Amino acid sequence: MERNEIKKEVKIIFVSVLKNNNFEISDELTANDVDGWDSLSHMVIVTEVEKHFDIKFKLKDLNKLNNIGNLIDLVALKTEQKLILPDGL
Amino acid sequence: MVFNSLKFAAFFVVFFLLYWLIFNRNNKIQNLFFLLGSYVFYCWWDWRFLALIIGSSLVNYLLGIYIDKSENEKRRKFLVLLGLIQGLGGLLFFKYFNFFIDTFISAFSLININLSIHTLNIILPLGISFYTFRAISYLLDIDSGKIKPTTDWVIFFSYIAFFPCLTAGPIDRAKSLIPQLEKKRVFDYSHATDAMRQILWGLFKKVVIADNCATCTNAIFENYKTLPASSLLFGAFYFAIQIYSDFSGYSDMAIGFSRLLGFNVTKNFNFPIFAQNISEFWQKWHISLTSWMTDYVFTPLSFIFRTSGKSGLILSILINFILIGLWHGSNWTFILFGFLQGCYFIPLVLNGTLNRKRVKEGTHLLPSFNEFLRMAGTFTLVMLTVVLFRSETIGQAFSYYQAIISTSLLSAPKIPLDKAVKIVTIIFIIIMIIVEWLQRDKEHGLDIENIKNSFLRLSIYYTIIAVILIFAGQKVTFIYAQF
Repeated sequence: MERNEIKKEVKIIFVSVLKNNNFEISDELTANDVDGWDSLSHMVIVTEVEKHFDIKFKLKDLNKLNNIGNLIDLVALKTEQKLILPDGL
Repeated sequence: MVFNSLKFAAFFVVFFLLYWLIFNRNNKIQNLFFLLGSYVFYCWWDWRFLALIIGSSLVNYLLGIYIDKSENEKRRKFLVLLGLIQGLGGLLFFKYFNFFIDTFISAFSLININLSIHTLNIILPLGISFYTFRAISYLLDIDSGKIKPTTDWVIFFSYIAFFPCLTAGPIDRAKSLIPQLEKKRVFDYSHATDAMRQILWGLFKKVVIADNCATCTNAIFENYKTLPASSLLFGAFYFAIQIYSDFSGYSDMAIGFSRLLGFNVTKNFNFPIFAQNISEFWQKWHISLTSWMTDYVFTPLSFIFRTSGKSGLILSILINFILIGLWHGSNWTFILFGFLQGCYFIPLVLNGTLNRKRVKEGTHLLPSFNEFLRMAGTFTLVMLTVVLFRSETIGQAFSYYQAIISTSLLSAPKIPLDKAVKIVTIIFIIIMIIVEWLQRDKEHGLDIENIKNSFLRLSIYYTIIAVILIFAGQKVTFIYAQF
């Protein structure tokens, strides 16, 4: 899956969870820059991203995220791994 | 040696001069001096537990290095677990041992089994709740790859015993504080001046507001059975203001003293009395503890329960807040306090307003009517639960609540105190609230660098100093130093 495509879909998830469209998605974007993106909404976003891309994160992966760019990279990696290693392998 | 004492003032002046004038040439020597100063400060409070803080620092210092070196996942997890057992084990023993024994005995007596287990005469080591949390976050951050361990033992020991924040926080993370210990500090005049302003504002909140509120709170809570309900409501109000000004005043002083020594310490309060919902309140109150709990307790819990939707989120919030309550002390009152705070979140989670765009107060002079209502509502919710903080047992708190719900709620409040004390306290509470409202987008209440007229600035300083000297309340220990 293209990185730009992931970025667009991640933005849709953010807007739908946060009910806020007042931000431009960029790799450097952090929770401090987006209204409503706090520790409580963070896990709702994570769950929606997992559902949407049909992937599973590990807590350790999430702990290392510093911005949206890191999240997009992680989604790209997980979707790639999914193609190489189908479910159950 | 509390911050608002002459002993501490003398200690800090001597320390400050030696720190900047003699030991500033070499960072390693300055750090060693800082560590020695921290231990002198600790011993002045209570020398008996110095060995404990040194021992705990040594164990965590070595564990940090070995966790990072360990490539074997199982060995790594074992070392992290060892660190957790050491830290939490110490905390459980010193802080909660007698509580668990008492609870155990009470639980068995319910089924008519009388156990004769004796509690121990345990003294709580000063600052243990704060320095243990520093050490735990250090190990967990190394394990998750967020930070690298320091190999300079003086820096690590100084991080644990960081004296301006040793007795009651803020609980700074290694990621923020250790790099500051590693690099040479440079004295900055304007930074130091603002630090002094922050200390002055903290001192005002502690000795004028909190200590005078304490007199009013004590008079009401000690006589709550004979007073009308309206007075009890005032008692809860005074105590809520007392606990805020006591702890945020202490935090302002701790941050100010750290800044005078060239360190930037994390903000602990962000004007929580103007929070417009409970979620915002907890983002502004005791920030260093709530963010610690968010990272190491709430996030893992909500990750585990993430597939359970709203119920998973509610469960994570409840567990998180019960533990926040328990962190304050070994009493069911604190557990219930935490539980109620968690319950306050439930409507926000259920009606989906938890993630709605944060309401911003803006910079306008007065809040709108709706903003005011939301602020007053949030403050009232918190005010009612802090009764549990002030009560020795849940029974006492409930009897206080029962006494509030009566027809005498509409009668004029009576407080068995000299009229002057009551008037002075209320006037200064109003002044504090107005000042903090006007300064709510600043770092602290007395951040007045924008006032260019130096005569006006000096007049403000001298007025506050005069108010402190004239209206200081009866000296009361910092509430959070007991935790």
